[in-house]
Amino acid sequence: MTLALHHYLILAAVLFCIGLLGAFSRRNAVVVLFSVEIMLNAANLNFIAFWRFGTNPELLHGPLFTLFTIAVAAAEVAVGLALVIAVYRHFRSVDLESLDTLKEE
Amino acid sequence: MNEVTAFWILAAISVIGALVAVRKRNLVHGVFALLVFFAGLAGLFLLLLAEFIAVVQILVYAGAVGILILFAIMLTDRVTGKDAFRVTSRGSFWGAIIALAVFLVILLPTIREIPLIENATPKDMIVEQSSVKELGTKLIEPYIVTIEVLALLLTAALIGAVTAAQGGRASEKGENTE
Repeated sequence: MTLALHHYLILAAVLFCIGLLGAFSRRNAVVVLFSVEIMLNAANLNFIAFWRFGTNPELLHGPLFTLFTIAVAAAEVAVGLALVIAVYRHFRSVDLESLDTLKEE
Repeated sequence: MNEVTAFWILAAISVIGALVAVRKRNLVHGVFALLVFFAGLAGLFLLLLAEFIAVVQILVYAGAVGILILFAIMLTDRVTGKDAFRVTSRGSFWGAIIALAVFLVILLPTIREIPLIENATPKDMIVEQSSVKELGTKLIEPYIVTIEVLALLLTAALIGAVTAAQGGRASEKGENTE
C-alpha cells in the first residue's frame, strides 16, 4: 500500500468534522474558538496535500496559501480571545448559553 | 519506518488529540490535547515535504496560540479543573448529527473520485535547492502586496485585541466608585 491523495483528504475531513462537532456541541466559548482552529488546520492539511499531489508543485502555491491562512488564523485567535475576555468582564461567564441578552423573552 | 506507518501514527495522534481536545471536560487538559493535535499535524506537513510549514505550525500554533488559549482560560475560568455543570449545549445532539452529515457530504465525493486520484503520485522534488529559499523568493515576487496587507492586518488585529480586552476596565472602575 502506498500513500495516495485520498488518505490525506479523508483525514482532513475527519479532523474538520471533529472541529465542527466541538463548535456545535460545547458551551464554553474558549472551546468553540479552538474547535474553529481545528477546522482551519484541517483545511491547511488539504492545501498541502493538494499541492504535493498536484501538477505544479514547483510553483509552491500550497505552502504560500497555508502561510497566509496561518497568519490570518493567528490574528483571529488574538481578536477572538480578547472578545472572550471582554464578554467575561461583562457577563462574568463564558457560557455561550447565558449570553442571550439579545433574545426577546 | 516507512512512510505509510508514519502516516498512520501521525493521523492517529492528530485525530485522538482533536477528539480529546473537543470532548474533555477539563479545559486545561483539553488545551494540552490541542497541542498534541498541532504537533501531529506538523508531522504530517513534514511527511508531505512542507518543512517550512511544519516549523511555522509548531512556532505559531503549538507556541503562540496554545499559550494564548491557556491564558484566556486562566483569565476567564478559575482554574479549578471543573468546567460548567453541563458541558454540552442544549442542541448538542443535533449538532453531532449535523457534523456527521457534513462529514458524509465531504466524504462521499472523495470516495467516488478515488479511482481518479489514486494514481496521482507526488513528483520527486528537486532536493538540491532548499525549498525554504524558493518559498522566500516566491513570497516576495508575486505576493508582495499580500504580505503588506497581512502585516497591516496583524497590526490592526493586535491593536484591536488589546482595545477589546481592555475595554471594560474604564466603565468597571466608574461602577466601583459610584
